[in-house]
Amino acid sequence: MAIDYEVPRDKRLLYWVGDKLIDYRHPVSLIVLAVTGVFAYWSMQLHLETSFGDLLPQTHPYVQIHNRFSKDFGGANNIVMMAEVEEGNLFNVENLAQIYMMTEEVDRIYGVNHSQIDSIGHRTTRHLKVAAAGTLRSEPVMIDMPRTEPDAAEVRRIVHNSENVFGILVSLDDRAAIIRANFIEGRLDYRRIFEEMNDRVITPFTTGWVGAQMVDVDPDRAEALKVEKGTGVLVKRLFKDSAAGASGLKENDVIVTVAGAKVQHRYEIADAVAKAGDAGVQIGYVRAGAPGTANLTGHGSKLKIWSAGEPRLYGWVYNYADDVFFILVVTYCLEWVLRWMYFHDWRGALRPTITGLIAAFWGLGFIHLIGLALDPLMLVVPFLITARAVSHAIQMHDRYYEEFERCGWNKRRAIVASFAELFVPTFSGIATDAFGVLVILLVPVIMLQKLAITASWWILAITISEMMLNPIVYYYLKAPEPELVILRERGGFRTAINKFTAVLLSKSGMAITVVSWSVAAIVGIYLMRDLTIGDPAAASPLLWLDSPYNTSHSRIQGKFGGVEPLIVVAEGYDKNAMKDPHTLKTMEHFQRYLERDPGVGYSFSLADILRAVNSVFHELEPKWGVIPSNWVDVGGLFFIFFSGSPPTETAKYVSTDFSTAHVTFFCRDHKGGNIRRIIGRSKEFITDTQFDDLGIEVAQEGDGVVVKNVSPEQFWNKRETSWSPIHLVPGASIPADAAGKDTPFHVGDKIVMVGQTKVKNMDTLHDAMSDESGRSKVLGFTLDRGGKEIETTINAPWKAVLKLAGGLIGVLAAANEELVSNDLLMNFLGFFSIYLIMLFTYRSWAAGIYLLLPLIISNIIVNAYMAVEHIGVNVQTLPLVTVGVGFGIDYGLYIVSRIIEEIRIRGDLLDSVREAMETSGKAVTFTAVTMIISTLFWVTSNIRFNAEMGLLLAIWMGISYVGSQTLLPVLVLLFKPRFIMKEAEHHEGREMVRI
Amino acid sequence: MIKLTFWNSIVIVVGFSFLVVFMDEYMLKPWREKRWEKQAASGDKDKQELLKLARSAKVVEE
Repeated sequence: MAIDYEVPRDKRLLYWVGDKLIDYRHPVSLIVLAVTGVFAYWSMQLHLETSFGDLLPQTHPYVQIHNRFSKDFGGANNIVMMAEVEEGNLFNVENLAQIYMMTEEVDRIYGVNHSQIDSIGHRTTRHLKVAAAGTLRSEPVMIDMPRTEPDAAEVRRIVHNSENVFGILVSLDDRAAIIRANFIEGRLDYRRIFEEMNDRVITPFTTGWVGAQMVDVDPDRAEALKVEKGTGVLVKRLFKDSAAGASGLKENDVIVTVAGAKVQHRYEIADAVAKAGDAGVQIGYVRAGAPGTANLTGHGSKLKIWSAGEPRLYGWVYNYADDVFFILVVTYCLEWVLRWMYFHDWRGALRPTITGLIAAFWGLGFIHLIGLALDPLMLVVPFLITARAVSHAIQMHDRYYEEFERCGWNKRRAIVASFAELFVPTFSGIATDAFGVLVILLVPVIMLQKLAITASWWILAITISEMMLNPIVYYYLKAPEPELVILRERGGFRTAINKFTAVLLSKSGMAITVVSWSVAAIVGIYLMRDLTIGDPAAASPLLWLDSPYNTSHSRIQGKFGGVEPLIVVAEGYDKNAMKDPHTLKTMEHFQRYLERDPGVGYSFSLADILRAVNSVFHELEPKWGVIPSNWVDVGGLFFIFFSGSPPTETAKYVSTDFSTAHVTFFCRDHKGGNIRRIIGRSKEFITDTQFDDLGIEVAQEGDGVVVKNVSPEQFWNKRETSWSPIHLVPGASIPADAAGKDTPFHVGDKIVMVGQTKVKNMDTLHDAMSDESGRSKVLGFTLDRGGKEIETTINAPWKAVLKLAGGLIGVLAAANEELVSNDLLMNFLGFFSIYLIMLFTYRSWAAGIYLLLPLIISNIIVNAYMAVEHIGVNVQTLPLVTVGVGFGIDYGLYIVSRIIEEIRIRGDLLDSVREAMETSGKAVTFTAVTMIISTLFWVTSNIRFNAEMGLLLAIWMGISYVGSQTLLPVLVLLFKPRFIMKEAEHHEGREMVRI
Repeated sequence: MIKLTFWNSIVIVVGFSFLVVFMDEYMLKPWREKRWEKQAASGDKDKQELLKLARSAKVVEE
């Protein structure tokens, strides 16, 4: 039946569309269902995955350096394990054997970079040995497991004499050793690495330790050992007082079964022992061809193992990711109960579920369609978007019931009216959400950009699941019973809303509202100054402070001072640049300079190796622990250390052509402030050293950088406009070709440009020098000398340039810099896009201001909360914070649209505001309460990040809701905005037409 | 305790939805109506008005 009644002229098109949707309900629903089916299929293919590269701003120069050199010099994905004894020291046969075997097992974990394992048990950790006839050669610290106590004592002697080991891989109190492994970025499978780490490395050497060296039986030896091919673990060696020995096992026994099951790998035995506990596990073995059984009980290990590093951290996150199902089930059931209690009808519970479900299928299916996966740290985002879909559906359902009564219990008329009347606020709400999220595209981090696109699409899909399908679904469902509709308007909830509205709209209520919000805004602005970009605390904010990961992390930090690497690459212009004594001394000075920073634990570079080799070469005399002054000696010492080592082993120190090496600083934490300071100091050192090499001192003066001093001992060669510094040995005479006393720089010169980069301050000078010197050995300077611009070219005297920055600290610095540079712009564009949509929605310049003001204050309060609670802005929190911005606007839109609708009927602003608060405000209140309660369930998550984000978003929703219910109506009443008041002119009655 | 996975979570939420629909339609609604009638019969004016309004309403499904 077509519309045969009058409808408001201003919304006649929407009434017509709503009616036509009912007419064509079968084809429309079939198409939507078919498309939803396809998206549902795709969404089932989704899996959890974190792509480390996607978390980085790939265009940032630090990340480019990281990408170029991480394969050789180590990336950001290191796992650091610390084996620690509480009593005595590490240096006995059993402890060292365990460390050796642990290192072997680490080398077998999926994705490990075999050339980048640092441990005293790994072949690449070498020391210098004086061999017969006085020759020197470098050998692994432990070429095999020690057999006797004198062997263990020899390892201790080596460790104490190796500068690249003592204090770096073994603690200074001899109680802890580190095994550090780097993982190849393209092969990062956090879940698998986590499980293999537990099964192969941690359990077998802690709770599963039986005091025996075991090896898997080689299939070729199975017949000789009289065991089935592909099974069996050989007991190669029993340690003193071992659990295995106490159970009756002997050396050369072959264990073939554990708890009745065939055994193939040594770690399977350890895992079974660990699980069995004190009861022990039944094992079957073969001894000299004869079968036997024993009950094997683990006695535990003297070693405690602590494990940290990004792959381990994400492993824990994946381990806890299944929490999401508990939260899903609880929130779903609770939402159903709350909706049923509000509507007194199962349709009220079902209808928003359909909207949320269809939008979720479209969103999740799209994520799979464009080749993405779900990140466990982003699981709050789908919940949040679904919550918004459900929120719109509740509004619509409430309006449908209202219209049902108003339209004389005519279902079709009620459906069409609710569709037409709520179209504008619903569509505007969806559009502001979608475009608000899209501004995240500005941050050049692939993960965030992908998230921006998928979240926008998902939000836009609500237009289909909510707006287009609404009339159809309602038409298919039986009309609600009138008594339930009437009951909904009479309950205690409605009475409470009415009372609150009366208080709010009184003079004192309005005054209290304005004062309260003003105070909240001022306090918020004051507190939000402490908001941190990056992580504000030393422990990982992704997991709880007392989580096993953070406990391990702080334990390792406490023992070794730092585990998070900052890799600065020294890249030479030519091969053999790393044999240049000046370059090596610069690297050494850099280490000493940055080690003074409290955030840096210790450092390591090629210079350390060279000093150690020089010292050993001179019978460990301390005065020789220095870098030689000429290329020949340096080259000779390198030859001694690296000869006999394959390139895969030397590559982690220096490139094969000696053109590039690195200085690695192990930082104590990755707090945003510490990273900024360490990077700042690094830049300062690099530039100051370069200017020092040029014989000048520069300083910030006014709005530029000025040459403050020119060394009189620095002489220069000049060829046309090109200058080259001459380095004189002390006491030498000035060369004949020196350009007299003339120099390219004069005191008072203002440095205008370096290359093509303008210099405004010391920071831009650092960046410009880094860019220019990184590109070429010839540097172009534009100087302002007494008002005259002079262009000059300098041939740099240095052989290599220090380039920032790889490692975890380097890439985090890059991400933080991108966030800082885009944060303000993103906030502005987010709010501006909302403003623009409000402009088009209400055709008013002022509408956006009224709706944005409560939103901006809510934003300030939430940022203040983040600052107080030490929640930093990083690549994980940013999308949630951005999605949260739009929450309040939905609430405000429903209120303002209803005020406009009512003022057209009533003509009086106060009455209209009151009616809007008591109708739309009631639905908004219900929506907000249910959303807040369900979002709060995230606080039960074992993933601290998700718990904190859940709480943060619940608070955000709460503040936005309170803003839309208090400040917004009060502002409307106080300032009587024109875009609302002009509608009062039509209060004689809306112009009605037939269509 | 049962470990929640994707599929058993789906089973739980779908099962719960059916349970709510069933209980509402076949247990709560008849019980509520009887209760209102009893209350109206015992002189509850609010319930009398509610039932009067509801019974006078002519629902148009088309």
